[in-house]
This record gives sequence, C-alpha cells and structure tokens, in this order.
Amino acid sequence: MTDTDWNKLNPAAMWRDWIVKSEAQWSETVSAMLKDPRSGGMLNKQIEEARLMQRQFAEMAQIGLATANLPARSDLEALDERMGRLEDGLAQVSAALVQLRNALVGAGTVKHVGVSPPRTRKPPARSVATAKVAAKG
Amino acid sequence: MASSSNESPAVKAQPTRLPNPMQRALQRMGIPAEDFEDKVGPIGVTPKEAIHSCGTLKLHHYKPLADSVYRVPVLIVTSLVNQPYILDLVPGQSMVEFLLRQGYDVYLIEWGRPRLEHKDLTLEDHVLDRLPECVARVQEDSGVRQVSVIGYCVGGLLSAMYAALHAGPKTPLKNLVCIAAPVNGDGLESLKAWMGPDFDEEALIGHFGNVPADWVQNALRALRPFGKLAGAMNLINNADKEEVVRSNLRMGKWETDNIPFPGGVFRQMVRDFLRANKLVKGEWVIGNRRVDLGAIRVPFLHLLAQEDHITPYASSRDLVRLVGSADKQEIIVKGGHVGLVAGRGAELRMWPALDEWLGRRST
Repeated sequence: MTDTDWNKLNPAAMWRDWIVKSEAQWSETVSAMLKDPRSGGMLNKQIEEARLMQRQFAEMAQIGLATANLPARSDLEALDERMGRLEDGLAQVSAALVQLRNALVGAGTVKHVGVSPPRTRKPPARSVATAKVAAKG
Repeated sequence: MASSSNESPAVKAQPTRLPNPMQRALQRMGIPAEDFEDKVGPIGVTPKEAIHSCGTLKLHHYKPLADSVYRVPVLIVTSLVNQPYILDLVPGQSMVEFLLRQGYDVYLIEWGRPRLEHKDLTLEDHVLDRLPECVARVQEDSGVRQVSVIGYCVGGLLSAMYAALHAGPKTPLKNLVCIAAPVNGDGLESLKAWMGPDFDEEALIGHFGNVPADWVQNALRALRPFGKLAGAMNLINNADKEEVVRSNLRMGKWETDNIPFPGGVFRQMVRDFLRANKLVKGEWVIGNRRVDLGAIRVPFLHLLAQEDHITPYASSRDLVRLVGSADKQEIIVKGGHVGLVAGRGAELRMWPALDEWLGRRST
C-alpha cells in the first residue's frame, strides 16, 4: 500500500508550486525588459519623482512630529550614527587590548591561555576532488 | 556577524525579547507560538576576536579548530554591501567553520556599516589603504610573510584590484581566490540599463550621502524580480520540514540585511565600472595607478555558480582570462550566488573544491 502525499493534492500547494516553477521564466521576462535602455530611463524618472515626494513628505512630517514633541526619522538616524561611533570606539579599545595581550605573550611577560597550533599541516594525499565540479583549465 | 566575539556559543546569552503581537494572540488561544528569531538561531558564532579595528572596519581572527594548521594564513574579503555572516551562518553550515576544521588559519575583514561621515570613502581607500593594512596585520599576527586572499562578490573585485596593484616579487600574496567576482560591467545588463546616462548618481549621493541599504536591496532584487515571491511560496509548501524552514529564514534574514554603499565607491562603480567598463579594458586608474589584472602572477582560482543572477557569467567570465598567472583555474558549480557559499550545495560542491585547490598551495 502506498502512502498518498496529501500535500501534493492540495490545490493551494499546487498553485504555490506552479509559482515556484514559473518564477525563473517570469523573472527572465521582466529582466529582459529592464535590459532595454528605454525602461532604464523610465525607471529613473519614477525614482526621481519618488525621491522628491519622499523628501517633501519627510519635511512635512518632521514639522508635525516636532509639534507633537516626537522624534523624527532624522533624529533616530542621528542617534544611530552616534551609537555606531560608540560601538566602533569600543571595538578599537577591544582590538588594542588583544594586541597588547599578544605583545605581552610575545615578550614572555604573560602566559597565553591557548596554545596556537603548529603551522605544519600538509594536504591529505588525494588527487581526486570529492566535489562534482565542472572544471575548466 | 556577532561583535562580542570572545564568547563561546555555550555561554552567549540570548537577549530577552518581548513576545510579538502574533505570538501573544496565539498564546491567548492556547497555541504555543515560536518566535521566528528563535528558529533562525544564533548566527556568526564561530569563536573569533577582532585583532584590528579602524572606523567601521574590523579584522577578525578565528580560533583554529584543528591540531595543526597550514603555514599560509587565509584572509577573507567580504562584500561591501552584504553582511559577512553569510560565510559563517550557523555551526555546521559555515564556510569559515569548514575552513577551520580543514586546518586553515582564518582571518576575515568586516567592512561594517558606513555612516554619513564615511560618504567620501572611495575604492582607493579600500584597495590602497584599508585592505593592505589588514594584510599587514595578518602578517604580523601570524608571523608569516605570505597570505592567501579569498574575496567574495564585490570583495572578490576588491581582492583582484588589490592583487593587481600589489603584484611583483615583493607581493604579500601567496594565492588569490575570487568567488563570484564581477569584472565586466557590460555583463550586468539590467544594472547598466538602469544606471545608464539618465541615472543621476550625484543626486542620490547628495540626498543620502551613502546609498541606503534598501536601495541596494531593491537593485539586487530587480535582477530577479519574482525571486522573493517564489521563496515565500516554497517556504509555505515546506512548512512541515523544520530544517528547510530554518534555512529559508536564515537566508531571508541575510538577504534583507544589506549594508549602505559608501557614496564615493558607488560613484566610481557607476561611472567607471558599469558605464565605462574600465576594468576589462585595462583603463581603470586607482590612486594614479592603472589596474592591470595581467600583472597578477600568483596562483589564481575563480569559483562561479551556474545560475548566478547577481553576478551573471557574462560579468565574471573574463577574470580568469585577464589574470596573468600561469597557475589559474575557473570552477563552475551548480547553484546560485548565495548557494555558492552557504547551504547544502556549498557544503557538497564548493567548499571541498576550494579546499582541494587551496590546501595544496598553502604549505
């Protein structure tokens, strides 16, 4: 007796499966359209319009948010920039400490907790790649 | 990439999160809801420490996982616009972890998220300043003069340019491996049509400083417009397969986690790479020096994916031809741009092929 895969008989699953299988073809068709320089020009015009609209909307929203005593996106971005600078500063301190530790270990002042493995490894004696690859010289 | 690099996965505490509204609603109905973040799991947890940090850049050194390592250390150069954790996804599905277990001493450059103050960073800064500084740090830390460089995607392009501009008898390079590195702007037809003469890159840079991450994401999505929809449908159809769901969520997280493009680099990429296609013509000048890929003489490997829609073959195939090395090879494996470095396909095909090629040249 064979087990029926009920998922395959589900119309919604079949529809989704069809989308997955057709995707490459659809994407290829749209990509071919995008490769036309005329569509590039049209796309750029729309992007420019969207950018200007977004700018105007952001300026209007900023006034409204300031009136309501709420932070605007630009305030959050400024905070994000500041946090980023702090994180980078901490990373620099951390890296400097690692360098100091390594220098002390090198000078024999302190003992390293972990021992670095020797650089003596040789490749295993095998000539055939385990991967199935199509190689071109 | 996790920044608290010294913690082992076992002691790494997960931040406590409040349940989201969907979880709360399901819990009220008596249905135990699992957070998607929990399904994704900890990402980029292979133990490492940052040995150098400058601005947003961090140079990580991974803790070796083998009893002995190859003499030559490996430096991985990641993309400028994608998070590097795709190369160290989760334990068991990590290219970095694989290399460590095969006995490589691995370093990785994380470029970080540029802020407004970094909008003027250029290719000169990356290829003539930041990358050489990282190579010097690897030499100093490992005590070995020669370094193998592995560059992925835009990181591959930067690595090839670095190798060309630092060629000669004193080169610190032992081997150069590029993974899906675009070199021919004419091969990126959709982007070239979009960012042709009508495209105003100065307006974009003037408005934002750096090109925002969502712009980068939309540009990449335009290369395969229905890919996201197909991915979502595939996820629903495999909802009962735990590992497929986890893998899909991890990839989805990475795909939507882009990094802003530094304004200065974006300007050069649009004008010199896409429009003028200067690299394959041998006309690209970086810091008053012409980038001649023919000057590269170290052993060279280019790994490519058969169905790569981000770096199509037309944009990458010239690299092996232009590189001047006597020992050079191109390997094309089945799969897409991301599947080349992460996932089951990478584990079965690309990682072993890389190890097979690099191991013999790392002693």
